[in-house]
Amino acid sequence: MFNIPKGREVPFGCVTPAPVGEQPMMITGNWREYRPVIDEEKCNLCGNCVVFCPDACWQFNEADDAVVWNAKYCKGCLICVNECSHDALSKAYELDFPDGVVRLEKPF
Amino acid sequence: MAKEMTLSGCAAAAQAVKMAKVDVICSFPIRPYTATMMELSKMVANGELDAEFVHGEGEHAQLSVVYGASAAGARTFTGSSGVGVTYAFETYSPISGGRLPVQMMIADRALDPPGDFGSEHTDAMSARDQGWLMGWSENPQEAFDNHLINYRIGEDSRVMLPQFVCQDGYFVSHIPGKVQLPDQAQVDEFLPPYRPGAHVLDPRKPVSHGPQIRPDQGAIMDLQRAEAFLAVPQVIREVVDSFNRIFGRNYDPFLDQFMTEDADMVFFMQGGHAATARHAVRHLRQKGVKVGLVKLRFVRPFPTQEVAELLSKFKAVGVIETSTSYGGSMSGGNLLAEVRASLYDVPKRPLTTSFMAGLGGDVIPLHEFYWMAEVLTKALKAGKVGKNVYWAGFEQAEA
Repeated sequence: MFNIPKGREVPFGCVTPAPVGEQPMMITGNWREYRPVIDEEKCNLCGNCVVFCPDACWQFNEADDAVVWNAKYCKGCLICVNECSHDALSKAYELDFPDGVVRLEKPF
Repeated sequence: MAKEMTLSGCAAAAQAVKMAKVDVICSFPIRPYTATMMELSKMVANGELDAEFVHGEGEHAQLSVVYGASAAGARTFTGSSGVGVTYAFETYSPISGGRLPVQMMIADRALDPPGDFGSEHTDAMSARDQGWLMGWSENPQEAFDNHLINYRIGEDSRVMLPQFVCQDGYFVSHIPGKVQLPDQAQVDEFLPPYRPGAHVLDPRKPVSHGPQIRPDQGAIMDLQRAEAFLAVPQVIREVVDSFNRIFGRNYDPFLDQFMTEDADMVFFMQGGHAATARHAVRHLRQKGVKVGLVKLRFVRPFPTQEVAELLSKFKAVGVIETSTSYGGSMSGGNLLAEVRASLYDVPKRPLTTSFMAGLGGDVIPLHEFYWMAEVLTKALKAGKVGKNVYWAGFEQAEA
């Protein structure tokens, strides 16, 4: 009766497969205008960024003794930069990076 | 055995919910609907009804509880009145968008402020565009029946939509009337256990309900709900037919008619004041006024086709608004706009106007119906209506 364009189908009742780890249907990384950049020399692994990130975009990588940033979901709120105890995090303009995402070109 | 009891609208609703064997009920007190929850909590405490009875901490919580329970595959019931209905407003669209056939009773109460404990339909009518079925009951018997009918319609695999089952506060909810209670076997035949759809929560096939969707999916979700609503009228016809057969009733799916044969003009309305309207129509008929009554049983989905076909048989239609739409196209309520829109494509349209009545808990006394008939008679003589809206009891019938 109606034609739904391919790729825009919506499951009945809008249910989505429950995400395991990450939700690939809701990538939010291209919301950001700035991204946090880590200076690993200064980082003492205090874990503030891991605790304070509202989107769990900083994770401990215990094997490498480092914190790892998740570019797919970081919205660039920069709470981590504010909370970093050793000034190891700073903000950088997203489009200065060769892989910088164009903000809101495809918003979701 | 089937038996007859004298029950208020609230108590009749509770009996229907019990016989529907609901799984999860969530309550929060607000009068007048709350008497239904008092009855249901007694039934659960006495072991007559095997249901999970949850006390919500507010109406938003009530609706959230039944939202989750319905997503888990339960048949659910909740309810509210007045400001309780509006407090839960945020939850209505996600429940219909999630295609979960939650049932909510509304016993109308005028909205605050200032507080007015009386009944008018504005509380429920404000939620009419949220993707829920919506209709009113005239008396406790119809309330009992409509709760069962709505579960069956809403849970139909072609529909899967939530339902507001409304009754006028006090006039229906608290005035007892005779109610034929059927056998449980009849109810079981009419209303099989709820079989949830494939989108139910299941640990073996984990899904997320109510996720954030992308803006380019939103229109499609709206389209799916709109499509489901297109299927509802046929399901209502089938279900009401089945109900009439099993329970020996004589409901029209959409429009209940009283003394409309050879009528020149009709009152068009929904809800409990129709009981008074019937008496007014009988008295007016005795005086030779050819008037009838058409009562709307579902305002969502609005029976556009049926309204057009039926009302075009008459010369004048007086729509009795029992809710408000300030600044709306008719400067009064919502029903006249729907009625006129339905009649637009009819070759020979009747004269139509509306009467604001039964607001804030006012009764609509017989003399107001007589006055409305006078307005309609004068309009027929003049060949046109004076204006779109009259406030019954507060103005003169125009010459």
